Amino acid sequence: MRTLALATALLVPLCAHAQDRTPILMDVVETHILPRFTQLSGATETLVTAAQDDCTPESEGLRTAYGTAFDRWISASHLRFGPTETGDRAFAMAFWPDTKGFTPKTLSRLITAEDAVVNTPETYAEISIAGRGFLALERMLYDPAMTQQGSAAYRCALIRAIATDIDRNADAITADWQTYAPNLTQPGADSPYRSGDEAMQQLYGALITGLEFTADTRLGRPLGTFERPRPNRAEARRSERSLRHVELSLIALRDLAARLSFDHPQIATDLDTAFARAIDRAQALDDPALVGVATPQGRIRVEALQQSINDIRAIASAELGPTLGIRAGFNALDGD
Amino acid sequence: MTNRRTFLAGLAAASLAPVPGWASVGAPDFLAAALFPDGSYRLAGLDATGAILFSVPLPARGHAAAAHPHKAQAIAFARRPGTFALVIDCATGAVLKHLQAPAGRHFYGHGTFSADGTRFFTTENDYEAAEGVIGVWDAASYARVSEFSSGGIGPHDIRLMPGGDMLVIANGGIETHPDSGRVKLNLPTMRPNLTYADLSGSVVAQVELRDALHKNSIRHLAVRGDGLVGFAMQWQGDQTEHPPLLGLHRLGQKARLFAAPAAAQNSVQGYAGSIAFSADGNAIAITCPRGNTLHRFSAHSGTFKDALALEDVCGLGAGTEGLIFTTGTGAFGVLTDTRAAITARPDCQWDNHLIPIHCAV
Repeated sequence: MRTLALATALLVPLCAHAQDRTPILMDVVETHILPRFTQLSGATETLVTAAQDDCTPESEGLRTAYGTAFDRWISASHLRFGPTETGDRAFAMAFWPDTKGFTPKTLSRLITAEDAVVNTPETYAEISIAGRGFLALERMLYDPAMTQQGSAAYRCALIRAIATDIDRNADAITADWQTYAPNLTQPGADSPYRSGDEAMQQLYGALITGLEFTADTRLGRPLGTFERPRPNRAEARRSERSLRHVELSLIALRDLAARLSFDHPQIATDLDTAFARAIDRAQALDDPALVGVATPQGRIRVEALQQSINDIRAIASAELGPTLGIRAGFNALDGD
Repeated sequence: MTNRRTFLAGLAAASLAPVPGWASVGAPDFLAAALFPDGSYRLAGLDATGAILFSVPLPARGHAAAAHPHKAQAIAFARRPGTFALVIDCATGAVLKHLQAPAGRHFYGHGTFSADGTRFFTTENDYEAAEGVIGVWDAASYARVSEFSSGGIGPHDIRLMPGGDMLVIANGGIETHPDSGRVKLNLPTMRPNLTYADLSGSVVAQVELRDALHKNSIRHLAVRGDGLVGFAMQWQGDQTEHPPLLGLHRLGQKARLFAAPAAAQNSVQGYAGSIAFSADGNAIAITCPRGNTLHRFSAHSGTFKDALALEDVCGLGAGTEGLIFTTGTGAFGVLTDTRAAITARPDCQWDNHLIPIHCAV
């Protein structure tokens, strides 16, 4: 390839100092990423066992195992790159938001047809991702429209098939993270990350995207507008987990932010203080399915929580980003 | 044939009083939005060397603009999900009209006039239905006339095809809703397309990418005089993959996709910001602000020609010769077969798009 001679004389400043990112990258991989997926796999295995033991939707054992496994996924789901993203695995774990109602449609279709895809994990993994994962299972456990459809025997088989599929998906993600992790800790020619900076930028991206998703989607969708709040759009509202997901994601992102800012104590303190404020607000809310967005009083409190997350975003992009070689290009960051 | 300059000169000569504003210092060759050092967002008119001839304040960050084919008028858009567009009199800098998106709609930031200048078409989001819409406006009164389906979700760029009886629309495929800001809501199921429709919205043809590329959002367009369409894409899939970001399509044929050699392609972070054919139509280029580079290809074979390193480059359009680019650091430059040069660097941050003004009165 020919690069015009002028190019070097032009505008791209050379990287001044290449910092050694290895200690932070090792720390994030060993203590933040890998344990989360190992815990996820353990919890999804328990979920399969619980579904085998008792597949009735009201089963306390099944609902508890479901809650724990979903907790583990929410605590890892900000790490949506590499093995998590391959083949839309993350969406197959949790297909949300489901703006066009694909999940209930897919499940109803299966139940009505008594579709044999539930008979083997391999065939279930091939169906629309809207029919897979924790939100599909939530419908089968908590949505009266679904828990009364078709035959009890088929619904039971479907619940077990979804649980098994979640577990297989979690195992595949976890196994692949073991082999993928060295790409982050040993960047270079054999890695998708050519440098430690690029690996750090991937992790920083996970932090920013995670904050954005929690503020704009987990809270923004149910908030809607003052004239038209949308409590029915809250994530996992049927199992009353909406606020819990906000809290769990903040706790996970706080841990990631602390590790990424380890070399910059002041930034670490600023971020941690902002996270503490947001988590305090979430814990004080006492509105598990975020139904309060429809009342003026409840709405103010959810908006305050959202604002406190946006404060974290502002600190991260203003203070942490620049230390990781993220240049705030006017167009590079625009996304249009 | 009267060109834009003589048209404007005529306008000025016809006025008894001196024409205020920038007309006295010449007519612009380009329009571009920018963030100015005083913190204001403005739409600027530029000459061929990059000198700013005028600027008009915008209420928020701008995106693209469209130039009226006959009158010295431009329509400037807010960045999505903006709900306003401004009709600007390029002879006085005055804002003639505010286009307001209808309730339940927002603009995506691009629009185009009909060849006769009587209609203006805007890409819009019907966000409750999550469907793309093309708004049709009367280009004299700027009243809303009608609307029709864009043929997909997330229509972004729109261009008039040569001959003037057909539109080409880049349906990016990404669902967003203002309640969730700019968060992408449908990545696993997104399916971008290129839609050709007549001016009343009847779909003439649609082009989709193969399944493996369903996350390659078709966003920006360039049209050559003979009907060849160039499209630039933004990859929403795994960032360790580096699919092609440039496509060429001719109606009735298959789309062809082109990438730079691996080392260059892998540096652009799956993101192309603008696309344009060169003045002679022999080259087509995309700008890659995340990779700080401009990639130029043959418009005939799609063969990669070269890369030009430019910090935060995004705006791109044909110049009198070759291509003109702008950057988020203020640079305005020219790229021809033999020359690459920054010709101006005003103290502002040029926004995504550079709009050449072609007037054919």
